[in-house]
Amino acid sequence: METDTGSQNTHRKPKTFDQKNWISENLNYKKDSGSWAWILHRITGIALIAYLFLHIYSLSPLTEGEVAFNNKMEAFTTPVFMVIEWLLFAFVLFHSLNGIRIVIVDWADGAKYHKQLYRLSWIVGIILFLAMGAIMFSHELKNLF
Amino acid sequence: MYKYRVSKNSGSGSWVVQRITGLALVVFMIGHYILMHYQPESGHTYEAVLARMQFSWYRIIDLSFLVLGMYHGLNGVWNIFRDYKMPTWARISVLSAIILFGLAFVAWGFVIIFSIPYLS
Repeated sequence: METDTGSQNTHRKPKTFDQKNWISENLNYKKDSGSWAWILHRITGIALIAYLFLHIYSLSPLTEGEVAFNNKMEAFTTPVFMVIEWLLFAFVLFHSLNGIRIVIVDWADGAKYHKQLYRLSWIVGIILFLAMGAIMFSHELKNLF
Repeated sequence: MYKYRVSKNSGSGSWVVQRITGLALVVFMIGHYILMHYQPESGHTYEAVLARMQFSWYRIIDLSFLVLGMYHGLNGVWNIFRDYKMPTWARISVLSAIILFGLAFVAWGFVIIFSIPYLS
């Protein structure tokens, strides 16, 4: 069989992943809601496991009794830490709601409506985030108004 | 049958467990947040922790939450590493480090919970 390399060049090669420029490849490809969900699920997941380690460390003064523990907790109930805690809840919310979305996609035919589920998870997440803010800062909010 | 078969294990078991533990963690997390933030004192004082820890079932729930969270989290980290092609020595090192870290921090969690005294 004769091969005509000239005519092969007229066909456009399908674009494949460029391993050497993986950073720009990852940044440049068109991202739909599913890609964003995947990226954010990873970032929030890494943050949450890092927080779990930190959480065990920060509760370790429980072994030293009441004074040590309450001293440690005083630092965590300052307004700055409470805002950080609130932002942590945003990470928990995204990972939980998107996790539920993944389970629905995997097990309940959710692939047909995964984009709607993604939007829904953002709406539910923002509502719960604001509600948590109101609960956490209710003392401060009462002082403001 | 397969040209590039490296493992007989497809990973489907681990995938199912990741889904199940994830759903369980959502339930635990709802309880955790209600307990810690519905009343600010409940989560942040020694007295409240001490009072809760008088119930052994509460210690069991706490430690189950810890073990499930650690498993789900570190399995997730390992899944991220598995997305990349690594030489065998790197795979073994990463997996060993993940398992050792996980076991060490779970053990620390058990020590912390069981250091809280029973008042009687």
